[in-house]
Amino acid sequence: MAELAPSRIEVRDLTLMYGHDTVLDALSLPVPAGKVTVLAGPNGCGKSTLLRAIRRLHQGQRGQILLDGVDIGALGAKDLARQIGLLAQSPSAPPDMSVEELVRLGRYPHQAMLQPWSEKDGAAVNRAMVGTGVDTLKHRRIGSLSGGQLQRAWIAMVLAQETDIICLDEPVNHLDMAHQLDCLDLVAKLNREAGRTIVLVLHDLNLAARYADQLVFVHEGRVRALGRPEELMTPELLAEVFEVDAAIMTDPVHGRPICIPRGRAKAKSVREIA
Amino acid sequence: MSLVMDRASAQHGLRAGAIVLVVFGLFVLLGLAGIGFGSTWISLDKVLHVIFGGGEKSERLVVLQLRTPRVMAAAIAGAAIAFSGYLLQRITRNELASPGVLGVVDGAALGVVLFLALYSNESNALTVPVAWQPLAAATGALAAITLVFILSGRQASSAIRLILFGIAVAAVAKALTTIFMLIGPIYQAAQAARWLAGSVNAIGWSEIQIMAWALLPVTAIAGLLARELPPADLDDVSSRSIGLNLPVYRVAVFAVAALLTAIAVAFVGGVGFIGLIAPHLARLLVGRARFAGIVTSMMLGAMMLVGADLLVRVAFAPTEVPAGTVTAIVGAPYFLFLLMRKDKTNG
Repeated sequence: MAELAPSRIEVRDLTLMYGHDTVLDALSLPVPAGKVTVLAGPNGCGKSTLLRAIRRLHQGQRGQILLDGVDIGALGAKDLARQIGLLAQSPSAPPDMSVEELVRLGRYPHQAMLQPWSEKDGAAVNRAMVGTGVDTLKHRRIGSLSGGQLQRAWIAMVLAQETDIICLDEPVNHLDMAHQLDCLDLVAKLNREAGRTIVLVLHDLNLAARYADQLVFVHEGRVRALGRPEELMTPELLAEVFEVDAAIMTDPVHGRPICIPRGRAKAKSVREIA
Repeated sequence: MSLVMDRASAQHGLRAGAIVLVVFGLFVLLGLAGIGFGSTWISLDKVLHVIFGGGEKSERLVVLQLRTPRVMAAAIAGAAIAFSGYLLQRITRNELASPGVLGVVDGAALGVVLFLALYSNESNALTVPVAWQPLAAATGALAAITLVFILSGRQASSAIRLILFGIAVAAVAKALTTIFMLIGPIYQAAQAARWLAGSVNAIGWSEIQIMAWALLPVTAIAGLLARELPPADLDDVSSRSIGLNLPVYRVAVFAVAALLTAIAVAFVGGVGFIGLIAPHLARLLVGRARFAGIVTSMMLGAMMLVGADLLVRVAFAPTEVPAGTVTAIVGAPYFLFLLMRKDKTNG
C-alpha cells in the first residue's frame, strides 16, 4: 500500500457501539491531504457511520480523530464546521425553503452573534451556486426541484461552507447516470483545482475505482484494505468483502480497474460442491 | 432573468410586510372593541378619549380598571403562548407541535393545583404572595417537558415520538390534577377549576405587571435563540455538520418555549390551542420569513385570546364563561383538520 501524501485526518482506534452491536471496531484510517478517498463496503459495514464519526457526530464514539495532528474533540462545533464539511446521505430541508436560503446556511459556521452577513459570505454563496449550476434556480423552492437539482443545491450548501475537507455520503444515490457523472466530476474538479481533500462513500465499485486516489474497503466495522484502486480491485478481496465472484478488467477509457460480477461468491462455492 | 427573480423576492418581502401591517391594524381594532364591549357599551371614540386622558369618571373606571387590564392580559398571554408554539413547531419541524400537545400546559396546571393545595388556608386565601403562582406553573411546565425529553431518550429528535410522549405526560398530569382537586378541600377545587379552564376576567394591573416583567427577559432570550432557527430547520446530521450544537440548542429552545407558556398560563389559565393555531396560520400568511412569522404569530395569538374573551363576555353575559372554552371549541377541530390533512399527505 503506497504512501500517498501526509494525512490531514488520522482516525485512530475508533470504536462505536449501538447497544451491544459493534459498528466500528477499533478502526484506524489515514486520510491523505489533497486526495480523493473513497470508502466502499457492503451494506451495514459501518462506512456511513465512519464518515459521520470523522465529523464527531456520534455520541459515545471512542478513539481519536486527529485533524492535522490535533484531536478534534478540542474543537468547537463551529470551528470544526469551518474545517470539515459533510453532506449527509439523505439530507432534508423544509420544502418551502428556497435554494438560496439553503446555500446561505453553509455560511452559518462563519457567522457570529454580533457579526452580520458580509460581502465575503455573499461571494462564497454565489461561487458555490455558480460552481454547481444552481444559480439560476436560487429562488426555486426545495420541494419543487428534481433529484439532480436537489443534490446540486445540497452540494452548493456544503461548498459555501468553504472547508478544506469535504465528506460526501453516497452523493450519487438516486441520480441517473448523467447526473452521477456531473456530481462526481464536480467533486473531482474541486479536488484537482482547489486542492480540497475529499472523502466519499460510494456504493458503485466501478465509480469508486474511477474517482478514488485512495480506495478503502470497510468490512464489519474495520478497514479491511486500503490503497490505490488497482491494488484493491482483486477477485480475492471482492469475494471476501463483497461476497461477489467478479472478473476484474481495465477500463479502456480511463485505465482504471472495473469489475464485472458473475454472481455471488457463495453461490459459486455451492455450484462447485454440486 | 435574475432581475425578474429578485423583483419577485422583493415583492414577497413587501407582501409579508403588508400582511404584518394588516394583522396589526386588526389587532388594534379588536383590542379597542374588547375595551368597548361589555355589560355597558362604550363607543370607540369614548374609549380613545379615555385612553388619551379624558372621559367621565365612571367611563374611566370601566375602561382603565376593568376592561383594559383584561384585554392587555389576554393580548400579552396570547402572544407569549403563540411565540412558544412558533418555536416548538420550528424546532420539531412539525406543524402539530404546540405547548399543549407537548404536555407544557397540563404540567403547568398540575404545578398550579399543587401550589394552591399547599399554600391556601381555610379562608381561601394564599399564605404566600400570588407572585409565586407563575413560578409553580413554570416548575410544573418544565418538569413536564423534561419528563417528555427523558422518556423520548435517544429518539428525542423524532418529532412524532416527542408528541406521543407529550400527549402521554399531559394525560398523566391531567389525571393527577383531577385527583388533587377531588381530594383537596372544595374551595381549592373551585379556585383551581377557574384557572384550568382559562379566563382573564379577574386580572388586575399588578398581575399584568408581574406577567410582563417575567415574560420580558424570556421573550428577549427566545428572540435571540430564534436567530439560530434556520440551521435547525435541516435534518440533524446536516444542521450539526454546519456547526449548530443541536442537542444543546434543542433543549434551550424547549426550555424557553416551556417558560413562555408557563408564565402566560400561570396568569390566564389553561387556554388551549392558541400555541397550535396562531403559528400555523402565521406560516400560511407570511411563509418562512422568521421575523414576520414571529410577529404575526404573536399578534394572531393575542387576537385569538382577546377575541375569545370578548366573545364570552358578549355571548354569555352575565355568566362568566372561561375564554379557554372558546379557544378549545375552535381549536380542537382545527387540530383534527391538521391531523387528517397530514395523514393524506403522508399516505
